Amino acid sequence: MPDMGAQQLFDLWKKQVEEGTQQWLKMMGTPQGQTLDPQAFWRPFMDQGMAAWAKVMTQGTASPDLMGQWKQFLDQWIAAWGKALEQAMGTEAFGRVLGKQLEGFLDAASPAKKAAEQHIEAMLGGLGIPSRSQVTGIARQIVQLEEKLEGVEDRLEAVLQRLNEVAAALKQAPA
Amino acid sequence: MKDELFTMASEIPGLSPEARARWQQEMERSLLRMKHFAEMVGSPREPAVGPTPRQEIYRTNKSRLYRYQSPRTRRTPLLFVPNLGISRPYIFDLMPQGSFVEHMTQQGFDFYLVDWGVFGEEDNGLTVEDAVTKILPRLARKALESSGASEMSVLGYCMGAPLSACFVATHPEFPVKNYINMAGPIDFAHVGLFGLWLDPRFFDVDKYVDTLGSVPPDMVKAGFKLLKPTMDLSAGLNLWWNLWNAEYVAGFNALNKWANEYVAFPGEFFRQWVKEFYQANRLVKGELVMGGKRVDLKRITCPVLAVGAREDNIAPPGCVKPLIDAVGSADREYVELPGGHISLIAGRGASVHCWPKVASWLAARS
Repeated sequence: MPDMGAQQLFDLWKKQVEEGTQQWLKMMGTPQGQTLDPQAFWRPFMDQGMAAWAKVMTQGTASPDLMGQWKQFLDQWIAAWGKALEQAMGTEAFGRVLGKQLEGFLDAASPAKKAAEQHIEAMLGGLGIPSRSQVTGIARQIVQLEEKLEGVEDRLEAVLQRLNEVAAALKQAPA
Repeated sequence: MKDELFTMASEIPGLSPEARARWQQEMERSLLRMKHFAEMVGSPREPAVGPTPRQEIYRTNKSRLYRYQSPRTRRTPLLFVPNLGISRPYIFDLMPQGSFVEHMTQQGFDFYLVDWGVFGEEDNGLTVEDAVTKILPRLARKALESSGASEMSVLGYCMGAPLSACFVATHPEFPVKNYINMAGPIDFAHVGLFGLWLDPRFFDVDKYVDTLGSVPPDMVKAGFKLLKPTMDLSAGLNLWWNLWNAEYVAGFNALNKWANEYVAFPGEFFRQWVKEFYQANRLVKGELVMGGKRVDLKRITCPVLAVGAREDNIAPPGCVKPLIDAVGSADREYVELPGGHISLIAGRGASVHCWPKVASWLAARS
């Protein structure tokens, strides 16, 4: 019976999702004052999926509406997983894990980055080619120069405005 | 092949005429899906973005000020301040009939856009304070000069909202007629997942900036992808479903180009942004100091509109709305519209909900 086989497969998958989610949430830790219901998020899409499945099995003739139902099922499946992930990522435990991962990355990246920079700098210096830090230094100087020019421009504008005000006042003043 | 498939569909036994028509439509769509998929994979074309004609008014370092072509029937021009870093601002003028800039210019607003630009390693010393007290006042002044108007409306989107709010609050000499905060975080106590992940107990911003110097685009991308891990899956599924629709595919290509073009944060900017805004929440507490002046949001006294997006997970409504209580304006309004952080301002939903609301609110005050 093909429908019995499909049903068994579906039940197995449902069980796996449920058990996997429970394990996963347990691992992440439950946030303070918040009780998570791991069944709550998958039930709507599971029910939808089951209904679509049952329809296919009983209809006899395949309908193009099945595509729409399948899309709807996948949308709900993604939305449910998105919600579950958001719940888990909103816990302090996740924040801590993420912070530790990043710190580990930075601990590893820092000496490697420094060594690579020193090595490349020495190599480029030997070839008489300006290094990245030298090029960046020049670019930084250009940025600073531009800032100074803008400062001068601002002051000139202020002086011009003041001169215009004085000229206007002189015109209005009695001879 | 199409005809053969239709013949096959009509030959399925026991089909009602309605079901046959649906099958026929589905097969036609499947063929179009294959055609568009082959085009996307076989001969991918760079989508054209930013269709509204514009003119560069001013440039300072990497930042640019653009003025968009419009009939300029409204007296008060509009200065649009988007986020610095993260993404490029062409999302606001993505494609014809799908552009916030196009909508506002068609409504007669003289529209100025601040493009902060793509900062390099040489800009790692740039701070939030520099953006608020040096770059923004200069660009705002140039916009006002260029328009010839005596007053200007300011609209901040996303991070551009707290930046522009700081600017408006600390520059009372600049004649701001109206202020709009669109999906911009103000009270960082309610800023969602990013607030948790950047908590000082878990995230050492000093170590981060001291090690990497800046926040590289890949890191920015990782952060935003993590915020909604199922986003790509969902986008892929929707693309497959709508692949028969050439208009949808064109929109997807343009949006996808934007969504994968991340921009780095200058290191010192990120340090100050995380420490003072996310971790210490100084803006809404009135403890932030910029250019030697305390940022007091009560000094914003012009009409204020705050727009929150119901499904926004970057700046949830809870962190946008507090602007209304923080400002000193008598004329203030908060609206919460459907959509997420991006769909609030770009896409079909935005053209129905957000753009008309912003345009009508401004029109009545411009």
